[in-house]
Amino acid sequence: MKIRLLSLFTLVLSLSAQQGYPLTGTWTGDWGTSPTKRTPITFVMNWDGKNVTGQINPGPDSIPLSSVYVDFSNWSVRIEAKGKEPISAEGRLADIGAYHRTIKGTWHQGNATGDFRLTRD
Amino acid sequence: MPLVLHPRFVAQASACVFFFLLICASPAQNGHSATYDDTRAITLSGPVTEILWTNPHAFVFVNQKDPSGEVINWAVEIGNPLDLEHDGWKSDAVHIGDQLRIDAAPARGQHHQAFARSVVLTRTNAKLFTEPPHKPQSMLRQPAPRWPDGQVRLGPPPGQKGYWGAASVAALFEQTSTPIPTNDEGLLKNLADIDRVAPLQPWAKAVYEYRQRNLLKDDPLLRCLPPGGPRQFQTPHGFQFIEQRELGRILVMLGGGDRNWRVIYTDGRPQGQADEVVRSFYGNSVGHWENKDTLVVDTIGFNEKFWFSNGGLPHTEALHLIERFTRPTFNTLNYEVTVDDPNTYTRQWKSGWTVQWVPDNEIQEYFCEENAESIMLR
Repeated sequence: MKIRLLSLFTLVLSLSAQQGYPLTGTWTGDWGTSPTKRTPITFVMNWDGKNVTGQINPGPDSIPLSSVYVDFSNWSVRIEAKGKEPISAEGRLADIGAYHRTIKGTWHQGNATGDFRLTRD
Repeated sequence: MPLVLHPRFVAQASACVFFFLLICASPAQNGHSATYDDTRAITLSGPVTEILWTNPHAFVFVNQKDPSGEVINWAVEIGNPLDLEHDGWKSDAVHIGDQLRIDAAPARGQHHQAFARSVVLTRTNAKLFTEPPHKPQSMLRQPAPRWPDGQVRLGPPPGQKGYWGAASVAALFEQTSTPIPTNDEGLLKNLADIDRVAPLQPWAKAVYEYRQRNLLKDDPLLRCLPPGGPRQFQTPHGFQFIEQRELGRILVMLGGGDRNWRVIYTDGRPQGQADEVVRSFYGNSVGHWENKDTLVVDTIGFNEKFWFSNGGLPHTEALHLIERFTRPTFNTLNYEVTVDDPNTYTRQWKSGWTVQWVPDNEIQEYFCEENAESIMLR
């Protein structure tokens, strides 16, 4: 019981942790053209002081990010990647002060257009 | 088949849920600015129902009748128990049933909570919990104590007590000719001063402004996470240096924050490579003495889970600090820091402040976590 409570306490504390650059970290979520047709996605992003670099779905089929742009006046984000099909995602950062901040928006892949949502792990 | 839960499971699950809700809902995790509205004023009058003498916030609870005759119990914060005791106040300064008249700043929202600006015991008209005049510091002009080899001591000389108190400024700003007004938490009085705070990159300015506009509510220190970087010298309960010369290290013992410590290695070891250091709240510090007068400390290896100054200045894992500690007199410590984080700032920048010695006292016991159950909005 004590261990469970301690684990829960640790979890809650970690939820409150902060990070430097708002996009740095691992983000998971999905995109899809309808609420029932979803594809899981994982983003890893890092700020090197000048640019955000990263990839989609780390592993053998990973897709490198070709550009990431953040408008800090409204926290909108545009991400582009060149996989088998060109990918672009436009969304908005929310809950900036929380560790598990989110990005939600519109996803374009090839000829398909849908929505996406990402939460930082 | 009906679902039957074992009573022990139900008890454990209930405890977990309660614990979770307690932590998530507790406004104890908010700072002063996020909790109280200093632009408003209320007056409360009524009998004391409870006294809560708990770190970091002491409370008296009073029953006040509203215009309709309904009795409402107000939680009134009266300050920090350590500071109050340092000023000569004890929890028995008031008793259950005493009538008080309180001028206060109310909590934001509709909560029955307030921060006292003045507390008067009605039957004697005596003001309670107000700070007494500062005692004259007789050691102000004494030279700094030194070790037999002439090196400055950062702690008390043998046979004496004392520690370093609060910093002379509330927040970390680039040294400029004009001070930047803030409250005690580093909240800017005028957000237009943001461009004078530090040479922030655009993203960092946006994050800093976000934290300021949200009244610092996401401050990790309010979740009892350690105050790494210069902020360890900005917490209200002071700090102490324990110089272990035979071990080649100096411990910085913190009275505030989470009552933890930092190690500065002075055994001549080189600074580690940034990509080899385990990221931590206090980083990896190596120090050396210049002319037996100034301790110079080089620190890298920070994580990003804390704010390194009051007010919410951002940083990344690239943060590199060079700190200089000088004790020109017995009672004064000069602190200077050079901030180098090319991922957050457009160039290196410097800041600093002085710290005053608190003689004849030890750092008092303080645990941030003790606060977790002490503040619950009424």
